[in-house]
Amino acid sequence: MLVAWRYRKRENSLIQSFDPRAWVIFYACYLFATLSFWDVRFLLPFFFIAFFVLFTSGVKWYEMRRAFLFIVGFVFFFALLTFLTGRGGAEVYEEEHLIREFTASFSILGWTPSLKVTVERVFFAVSQLVRVSSIAVMTILIPYSLNPALYGITFKGVGLPDKFAYAMDLTMRFIPTFGRDFQLTMDAQRARGYELEKISGGIVQQVRKLGPIFVPVTIHAIIASEDIIDAMDLRAFGVGPRTWLDVLTYRMRDRILIAAGIFLLAGSISLALAGYGSFWTPEALIKMFSN
Amino acid sequence: MDKKLTNVLISLIVILALFAVVMFALGAGEPAEGALFNFSVDQASVVSRFVFVVIGIAIAFAVYFATSSNKAWEVGTREVVWMAIGAALYAVFSWLFNGTVFVVPSLSQVSLRPAIAIPMFFGFAFGPVVGFFTGAVGNMFGDALTGFGLSPQWSIGNGLVGFVSGMWMLFSDRKKSMDAVLYVSGALALLTALLFFLNRGEANMLFYDVDNGIFGDQQISLFAGLAIVIGFLLALGVRYLFRDNEEVATAVTWGMLGNILGLLFAALSDIVINGFSFAAAIVGEFLPAAGPNLIFAAILVPMLVVAYKSTRTQSGR
Repeated sequence: MLVAWRYRKRENSLIQSFDPRAWVIFYACYLFATLSFWDVRFLLPFFFIAFFVLFTSGVKWYEMRRAFLFIVGFVFFFALLTFLTGRGGAEVYEEEHLIREFTASFSILGWTPSLKVTVERVFFAVSQLVRVSSIAVMTILIPYSLNPALYGITFKGVGLPDKFAYAMDLTMRFIPTFGRDFQLTMDAQRARGYELEKISGGIVQQVRKLGPIFVPVTIHAIIASEDIIDAMDLRAFGVGPRTWLDVLTYRMRDRILIAAGIFLLAGSISLALAGYGSFWTPEALIKMFSN
Repeated sequence: MDKKLTNVLISLIVILALFAVVMFALGAGEPAEGALFNFSVDQASVVSRFVFVVIGIAIAFAVYFATSSNKAWEVGTREVVWMAIGAALYAVFSWLFNGTVFVVPSLSQVSLRPAIAIPMFFGFAFGPVVGFFTGAVGNMFGDALTGFGLSPQWSIGNGLVGFVSGMWMLFSDRKKSMDAVLYVSGALALLTALLFFLNRGEANMLFYDVDNGIFGDQQISLFAGLAIVIGFLLALGVRYLFRDNEEVATAVTWGMLGNILGLLFAALSDIVINGFSFAAAIVGEFLPAAGPNLIFAAILVPMLVVAYKSTRTQSGR
């Protein structure tokens, strides 16, 4: 099979011991709560929650290595970019306190490269690093820990109408099928001399040459859908409320998780409204470097 | 009044009430020292500002009311299956062409991401609701398959691509609406391209070439920056080349507007979420994503529309 879901059942996983609906609600609360702050002292607890969840998730390093390194590289690069250019942070602070200025000993076409290291830039880069990596670590775990077979009932459970929740479920079933169709079409076209790996020419030529693989897979999927539509119509889909194969029930621990999520979100928004948690730099450092 | 209309009306009244609380209650106070959220509203002009909110909501309701009988908003068995097919296809294609499964060539910082044609085509062929689901859910599953994690704002942005592509169904005069779409898209393409010339130093955040150690940090190339104008001209060409085939012209022009508005939404939301500067969001993210997408749209969408039309003629549906 061309497509493999990254989820598998893990006995010792904390995330997987909760009801998926409770986890989705907690995740949404966590996301918006983290976005309320720029102060690194307020962001650190979120960072610890994210890493606690990561280490108790039971996902092995070799399973997530690629995705994890990609995200971490991305987050580091952005923090470095804001630090070097000083842009981006300009919206949350107005005054900068210089620690040291590095100036190159050469100049290119009258421009001398220089780097100003200021208290604000350093702290903005650190805050950004903590903020984005907290969200990224929590997000990256979702495909590894939510059972694809429960996506439909999970979305129904958090309030989506039947039709949309069922469409989510169907999407999950179609993905491996279309993966296989893609492979079959690719093999058939290869037998006729088509080589995706060797497409050349200008960009318009290259895109045009994707047609022989792109169009048959899409049109075949649409034609094949008629059978599914007929089958669903015959079973009176959409006439009344539907029942689901899997039943999810909230247990005490799920209720506690939801309550914790809501408390986290309400607390964070109240703190932010009261003026806490905006961008922060230590007083002592500012004093040390003010002229 | 039917149930659906009542539901829409109730949701709009709730939004209005929320605005009223924010503007009249929270807005009257001074913001706390250094607060991240500043709801303070100038109380002298608060009434006239509130009138604008009322007008905005009234327009939203009027659009719905005028078009509520339009079959573009209908969701039956067919739409549910099309939504699922669209989302699954978008997920599979974006996973296969993201460079990890097949190494597809890239030209001057522009990698081939042809999958965007799927939400545009599904939006055009099956309506805004199917288009939105295809883009939003397909992007979500595509990211999940790749293992990159989810970014909700980009999923919504991709959803908007499909949604706007299907909005042609709401207009009775196809030609006039197409011209209006061309003007708006042209203006947005030119404005963002102008921003590129004013900020040539920005990095192309969407270009990765791991073998050569490039992780979205290379300065944006002239081609990547101008791809939006090239894409617009291609779409304009399709609009007039296919004058007699209105379906192709409609699909490409509305798909173009959807692509611009949807990705603009996603890139601008990164200013709030990731703290990017305005220039970095537009030049570093929006242009390298939206520009090449327009090129794929102008070439692949017509292919799909023509193929779909002939299968419909054959099967008589």
